[in-house]
Amino acid sequence: MDYLEFAKDVVSQAVERGVEAEAYISVGQNTSVNVDRGEVEKLSQAGSKGLGVRVVRDGKMGYAYTSDFGAGSIGKTIEAAVSLADVADGDEFRSLPAPQPLGEDDLEVYDQAIVDLPIGRKVEMARRIEKAALRYDERVVLTNRCTLISQYGTVAVANSKGVAGSYDKSFIGGFVMAMAADENDRSVAFGFDFGSRLADFKPTAVGKDAARKAVGMLGGRPVPTQRASVVYSPMAATSVLGALSRALGADAMQRNRSFLEGKIGETVAADMVTVLDNGRLPGGIATRPFDDEGVPTAATRLIDEGVLQTALHDHYTATRDGTASSTGNANRRSHSAMPTLDASNFYFQPGQETPEEVIGGVEQGLYVESVMNTASINPISGDYSISAKGYWIENGELSHPVNEVTIALPMQELLHNVKAVGNDLTFVPMMGALGSPTIRVDGVMIGGMTAGDSG
Amino acid sequence: MLPIESIRRVLDAGLTKGADLAEVYLENKESLSLILDEGRLEKATQGNDVGGGVRVFYGNNAAYAYTDDLTEESLIEAAGVAAAAAENANNSQVCADLTKRESPVVSRIERPFEEMSTQEKAGILRQMDDVTRGHSPYIVSVQCGYTETRRRVWVYNTEGVWAEDDRAFIEFQGQVAAQKGEMRQSSATGVGGQVGLEFFDDRDPVAMMPEAADTALLMLDARPAPAGEMPVVINNGWGGVLFHEACGHCMEADFITKGASAYTGLVGEKVGPDFLTAYDDGTIPGRRGTMRFDDEGAPTNRTVLIENGILKEYMWDLTEARRAGRASTGNGRRQSFRDMPMPRMTNTYIDAGPHDPEEIIGSVKKGLYAKRLGGGQVEIGRGDYVFTVTEGWLIEDGKLTAPVRGATLVGNGPETLRLIDMIGADMSLDPGRGMCGKGQWARVSVGQPTVRVPKLTVGGTE
Repeated sequence: MDYLEFAKDVVSQAVERGVEAEAYISVGQNTSVNVDRGEVEKLSQAGSKGLGVRVVRDGKMGYAYTSDFGAGSIGKTIEAAVSLADVADGDEFRSLPAPQPLGEDDLEVYDQAIVDLPIGRKVEMARRIEKAALRYDERVVLTNRCTLISQYGTVAVANSKGVAGSYDKSFIGGFVMAMAADENDRSVAFGFDFGSRLADFKPTAVGKDAARKAVGMLGGRPVPTQRASVVYSPMAATSVLGALSRALGADAMQRNRSFLEGKIGETVAADMVTVLDNGRLPGGIATRPFDDEGVPTAATRLIDEGVLQTALHDHYTATRDGTASSTGNANRRSHSAMPTLDASNFYFQPGQETPEEVIGGVEQGLYVESVMNTASINPISGDYSISAKGYWIENGELSHPVNEVTIALPMQELLHNVKAVGNDLTFVPMMGALGSPTIRVDGVMIGGMTAGDSG
Repeated sequence: MLPIESIRRVLDAGLTKGADLAEVYLENKESLSLILDEGRLEKATQGNDVGGGVRVFYGNNAAYAYTDDLTEESLIEAAGVAAAAAENANNSQVCADLTKRESPVVSRIERPFEEMSTQEKAGILRQMDDVTRGHSPYIVSVQCGYTETRRRVWVYNTEGVWAEDDRAFIEFQGQVAAQKGEMRQSSATGVGGQVGLEFFDDRDPVAMMPEAADTALLMLDARPAPAGEMPVVINNGWGGVLFHEACGHCMEADFITKGASAYTGLVGEKVGPDFLTAYDDGTIPGRRGTMRFDDEGAPTNRTVLIENGILKEYMWDLTEARRAGRASTGNGRRQSFRDMPMPRMTNTYIDAGPHDPEEIIGSVKKGLYAKRLGGGQVEIGRGDYVFTVTEGWLIEDGKLTAPVRGATLVGNGPETLRLIDMIGADMSLDPGRGMCGKGQWARVSVGQPTVRVPKLTVGGTE
């Protein structure tokens, strides 16, 4: 089936109802393999498909979706979208984007090797993840949820203004939870890796990573409550980036739901902080030629040496802004969701220092390896208080493991307090794809034991 | 959905390669969602998600294939894909007679969603918006949402299971942001249930909005939360989310059978104070986690998790129950036909205890009162958890003295449970907005009375 032709056909049917119309189609094949002690414990494979129809009339928008591509279902879906648009309120800035030239560059988001990968190889990769974790250290006592996921498929978008495009995308990823135990303690940690290309995917590294973190955290304990320097691993630093990406969305700024509202042109971070969003990063998890409303993706410099340059835009926020253009950041979780504004490959630009040098610059402080509850960081208020695990830094070197502590500092201050940026940019597949090098932030409040308590 | 003869043929196809159990799951989900933002009904979405899957068990392992094309042919094809994984098994199971099961759980939709127009539903969101904006000049942003979902499921397996369920959900949610100078604060609220339009007989989504606005306004003038260890009193109702996350997940059988949970092997052991009893109850009428049958066709139960401080039972799905050679507790749930079931909580709560809630707050010399909790997260293996306090108060000499913002609670679930030293008599379930994520989303309810933990780490900035 030619999905782009199908999308165009849906659009022309909808246009007959006197509306602007957009069709989004996503079709894919998914496999998930779960192994336990070498056995295939759970295996799931299937194809799935979906269509989302968005219509706009007099600035009023309606949306309907279906996974049934039969003629009757398509008619019903268009009908539902049109009648919902009648219920919605008009907004003068609401429209569908006009076509723009798409770049010709190879974005490396589709790998035939993933499509051709036989199920036996997938099972073997899942086993390698598990084996690598169990063999890392004798204190690794078990693994759980050892999973390999592979997906490939096609996305097609067409609208009544003439937008028409489609692309193929592939994805492979794996994760595992490793548990380590000794006489006195037990600890668990996750390892994972995801990518668009088979050659970049390293199952063994996933298992080793989980095992290394779990073993390292054995004997972890809280430290006394204090204000200190914190060095974030790339993984932990994404806690800062996730909330920052939401605060940098033009929708949040236009609706007074961002701590960065009204700050464009102002210094909002230390001068070593540069933040980029690049939907065209070759091979990136969030890379694609155009966004989910058909606007070409772009590389956008959001914070340049501490100065806030622009917000992330989709077609609506750019129209409403009047002077901005869409940065190609419209995103859908699936065909059943209307596009919303999200970051793509969103990251701190790396600096010069090695991670060891960043840690070496701290006399007493906390090295944070992993964090929890980052969803609680509030992009409206900037309140930032999460839990952290890692190691205490003593004279520039990692000493004992630390757990059950919180780290807190308002985002506004946190960005200004960045004191070092490493050269080890690493992407984590969360909320698009967030990337960071090792970074150091000073003056973070660490919540742990009452001072004087010997834990 | 499909004729029972078709189902029979699909099940037979699942057994062809020597599997010992085959299961068919069919689902039809319809939903409508409305979002009002900046006073405008901005996003209106409607859709239908239909599909089915075939699962084939061989020993302790299972293979699954699904399709969004609900025909006998497509399901038989899926059965073939799943069955192929069982190739080396050599059972010769045959399908038992399928008999439709009945459930004692009351789950009746009295007034279907269609009896109210979309325009009328939008009208309620407009009232919610009006009331909030009129509440204070410091309110700068209001967002309200309505979602209705009707999810029908059919489950059949070769052991003779034939179970059907029809679940209808209404959810209202609101988000408010307030600003004074450079200070911004926000607050979220929600109400809902497994219910038809009779929801409106006894619940008012408009009424919850001023309260949410008050929290955001209060936080504007709140002082930063303290950091360090202190006694913490957690409010009743939604406060039960802490037990759900920090302890409940550690009692789900998948982590138990692997030996990966802090509660593995502790049935019969003391895990909390004598006056602590906790349940997972999938049978409470109208709650979000209630099911007549779970997503594997097993009847739901009121499971005693902890009785008088003693751990009694875990929560089981079919996979883990087979592994352990026992029966499921009716906790097998899946997000959709695209997902394989796993053990999940339903409606989980700590039962009423002996203490007067006022006396609990009165007992604290210096500590934190977590009036409203936000979301949280747990690391299931060890039970380490973290929670956001969206409305916190300082307790000084037994009195709530000042609101604090930006507090986080961090600790270890099993350890926190052991530490609990007071439980109020004021048990209540949450207002109906709980959504639990464990790789898959599931609607849940939580609940508890007022609870005191004598020593907990609070993450703040002071």
